Order: sequence, then structure tokens, then C-alpha cells
Amino acid sequence: MLEIQNIHKSFGETTVLSGVDLQIGKGDVVVVLGPSGSGKTTLLRCINFLEKADKGEAIFGDIQVDLHQASKKQIQAIRKRTAFVFQNYNLFNNKTVLENVTEGLIIGRKIPKEKAIEIAKNALNKVELEDKYTAYPAELSGGQQQRVGIARAVALSPDIILFDEPTSALDPELVGEVLEVMKTIAKEGTTMLVVTHEMSFAKDVANKVVFMDGGVVVEEGPPKEFFENPKEERTRKFLRRVLPDDFIYHI
Amino acid sequence: MPNGLDIPFLIDTFFVALTGVPIAMLITIVSLLIALPLGFLLALTRINRMPILNQFSRVYVSFVRGTPVIVQIFIIYNSVPLLLGTIFEKYNINMNVYEVNPIWYAFIVFSLNTIATLIEVFRSAINTVSKGQLEAAHSVGLTTAQAFIRIIIPQTLVVALPNICNATVNLIKATSLGYAMSLPEITLKAQVAANASYNYIEAYIAIFIIYLLICSLVEYAFKRYEKRLRKYQIAPAA
Ligand SMILES: Nc1ncnc2c1ncn2[C@@H]1O[C@H](COP(=O)(O)OP(=O)(O)O)[C@@H](O)[C@H]1O
Ligand SMILES: [Mg+2]
Repeated sequence: MLEIQNIHKSFGETTVLSGVDLQIGKGDVVVVLGPSGSGKTTLLRCINFLEKADKGEAIFGDIQVDLHQASKKQIQAIRKRTAFVFQNYNLFNNKTVLENVTEGLIIGRKIPKEKAIEIAKNALNKVELEDKYTAYPAELSGGQQQRVGIARAVALSPDIILFDEPTSALDPELVGEVLEVMKTIAKEGTTMLVVTHEMSFAKDVANKVVFMDGGVVVEEGPPKEFFENPKEERTRKFLRRVLPDDFIYHI
Repeated sequence: MPNGLDIPFLIDTFFVALTGVPIAMLITIVSLLIALPLGFLLALTRINRMPILNQFSRVYVSFVRGTPVIVQIFIIYNSVPLLLGTIFEKYNINMNVYEVNPIWYAFIVFSLNTIATLIEVFRSAINTVSKGQLEAAHSVGLTTAQAFIRIIIPQTLVVALPNICNATVNLIKATSLGYAMSLPEITLKAQVAANASYNYIEAYIAIFIIYLLICSLVEYAFKRYEKRLRKYQIAPAA
């Protein structure tokens, strides 16, 4: 249902993406792994037009867009089908928790206010923040803020949610609560494209793992195969560096 | 007055000068209404490095800030009529430029001045709002205009408010220079009253008190408003 073809992106002289392809089926949880600087964030940002790709195409069910020269209308259309969860949450600081979630529904999606509030409350209850509707982001812990970020994305019922290292800005003791929430929504059939360094999430929740390095996809496959039997030397090297010893079976 | 202050005269002058307050406030409010949006937009041209407008804003700010307001007043007050005179003559408009109410010149000078101040105020304030706020707004489907109105500007205002307050107070005080354009504002009214009796000290004390009162009131109002806007930043002990 989402297909990305041949994305290229450079910042000045630095080439960040040099021809990335991705296929994501409905209900898939695709985890993108890769060393820092390999272009993972840029890939997600190009899909959501937060960054303009130099080249590439996206096929979203029935819409097909050129990632380099999409019209404003096409950009809005793609953004309506996607949601983004940011590494540093990016909650609207001047809005309450509930308003953070309703904002996109009422203003972006033109859903009537009462209905939007109902949807938002459901999403917030799902991430276990039913007691924080009226709090402001500054009053929340990082883990709570990121759960609002996830609720804000879920409430939009997008075709796919893009997660950019959703737990890497968190204190270690807060990572678990966010991963739990992500697991829950994955189980509910949400299509997710997740950049993360949480190998356990990739192993337990993903149905596809994509390894990026140097602006290209080096290897991809089902997690079991990917972790137990990586084919590329670059993948093996990366896994040896990031995985605890007992995680690796046959490398 | 050889024997101390002429208190009754001081009180009389106080009330005479008070009749100049509406004009001073009118100039202040009109200038702010013009300068707030223009200052904000020009600040955006600076931040986004928009060609031409960006350079224009930068040069504009340094010109206005590098010259005394009184000199700007003299220039506008003396050159605009000349300019208008030439234009009126050319297009056969039958109007005496010297009958133009000086308040228009005051609007021009003080707006131009406040714009310069606010460009810098907004520039630093907008920079404190992280780019992620705009991106998050885009990602939930807001247009750039909606994101600015609902997310960016409210946060910018909170940061800018103390400086906008300063700019407003400075503006109120600067309207006292309106006497150089024969504007019947606070200072001129007191001056005229004093001219008749040579009680300058009393007159100056009277307007001293008036400016102090107005400025304190304005500062108080801004503080109250800021507190209300800032509520999202005050995190009660969690
Ligand atoms: N806006 C930008 N301007 C210039 N360089 C950038 C920008 N964004 C990312 N980069 C560069 O692109 C490369 C890939 O960045 P990124 O996509 O964030 O990698 P990752 O998320 O995999 O760590 C890095 O070298 C980074 O410095
Ligand atoms: Mg990244």
C-alpha cells in the first residue's frame, strides 16, 4: 500500500539518500536500522515532505506522487494519510494534551469539535493518559509527552505512522512505557515505519527489518532471518556492534 | 515662584496636560497597530533570508536605530510637505500641504520607528520557537498559515511580550517629542500652560507624574496579559 521508489536527497555536497526503495504492506511494522548519519531521519522526512527529495516517487494506494515536484495539494493529500512521531516529541507547547490531539483533527481534518474531542480522548486513553487531558506538555515527563505524540498520530487514523527514533530522547527508565504503547498499536493493525535502535522491538514486533547504511538499503528481510542469518558483511558488522552477545544466535 | 512650588498651579497643569493623553495614546495605539504586523512580517523575511526584503529590513533597522527620533521627526515633518507639495502641484490637487494635521506625521514617524524596534524583537522571539513546532503542525495537516496563527505566533508573543512592553513604554515617552510638530499632546499642553506663568518646574513635575502613571499602568497591563498567555509554561510541581 505504500511504496517508495528511488529516493535521492543531498544537502549541498553531502549525499544522504542515493536511491532508496521501500515496500510497506497494510498492517506491516517495518523497522529501519542503521548507524547514525545513514539517512534514516531524512528518509522519513522526505516521505512526509518535511524535506523535499531531489528525486523519487511515492505510491500511496491510489495516489502516486513525485517526491521532488509534488503540488501543494498532493503534499496535503499525502500528509493526510501519514502521521509523524518525532524524536523530541514536538508537542505544541501552547496547547493542552487534549488540544494537541484535537488540533490536527479539527483544523487539519475539519472534523466537528465534539467528534474530535471524542476521538482524541479515545486515543489518549489508549496511551494511558486519561488523567492528563488538561495538562500542558511542560508538565509532563518525556515518556508521557511521547505518548501524547503517539496519540496525536493515532487519532488521525492515518494509513501509516512514521516514527523517528521515538525513544532515543528518553531516560532509559521511560523507554519501556513508550515501546509498550507502540506494541499495542502495532497489534491493532496500525501500519508503522519505525526508525529505532531498540533491537528488541525490531525482533519482537516488526515483520520486516530494513538496514540502511550510506544512503542505501543494504539488506532487508523478516526479523528472524535478518538477525539470525544476515547476508551482507556490512549488516553483520553493524549487528555485532549494536547487539548484546546473547542476542545473536549464529553470527 | 520664590517660595517653593505653586501647588495649585501644579494641580491645574496636571489636568490641562491630562487632556493631551488621548492624543499621545492615539499615536501610540495607531503606531503599534501598524508596526506589530509589519514588524512581524519583516522579521520573517530576515529569518527566512528572503532576497531583497531581508537586506532592506536590515538596512532599515540600522538607519532607524542609528538616528535620534527627534532628527527623524524634523526630517519627516519638513520633507514630507515638500514632497507632497510637488505631487499635489503636478496632479493639480487643490490642497494646502501645510494644513495637514501634524498627527499624520506623528503616525508616520512613530510607526516607522516602532517597526524597526519590533523587527528585532520578533526576530529573536521567533527564533526561540523551535522549527519542530511548525513541522509538527504540518505533519498533522495544518497549512503554514494555520500553523503560524495557532501555534507559532502565540508562542512568539509570549517570548516577545516583555520587549513589546518596553517598546510601547518607549513609544509613549517618545510621543512627548510630538511637541516639535506642534502636536497638542501632554508635553506641549504643559509647556503652553507654563509659558503663560513661567512655572516651568510645576509643569514639568505634572507631566513627569502623568508619564509615570501611564507607563506604570501600561507595564502592569502587559504583566497581567503576559501571565495569562504564559500559563502553559508554568509547570506546577508535578
Ligand atoms: N537539514 C540538513 N542540512 C544539512 N545536512 C543535513 C540535514 N539533515 C541531515 N543532514 C545530514 O544528512 C546526514 C543523514 O542525516 P539523518 O537523516 O539525520 O541520519 P540518521 O537519522 O540516520 O542519523 C547526516 O550527515 C546529516 O548531517
Ligand atoms: Mg535520525
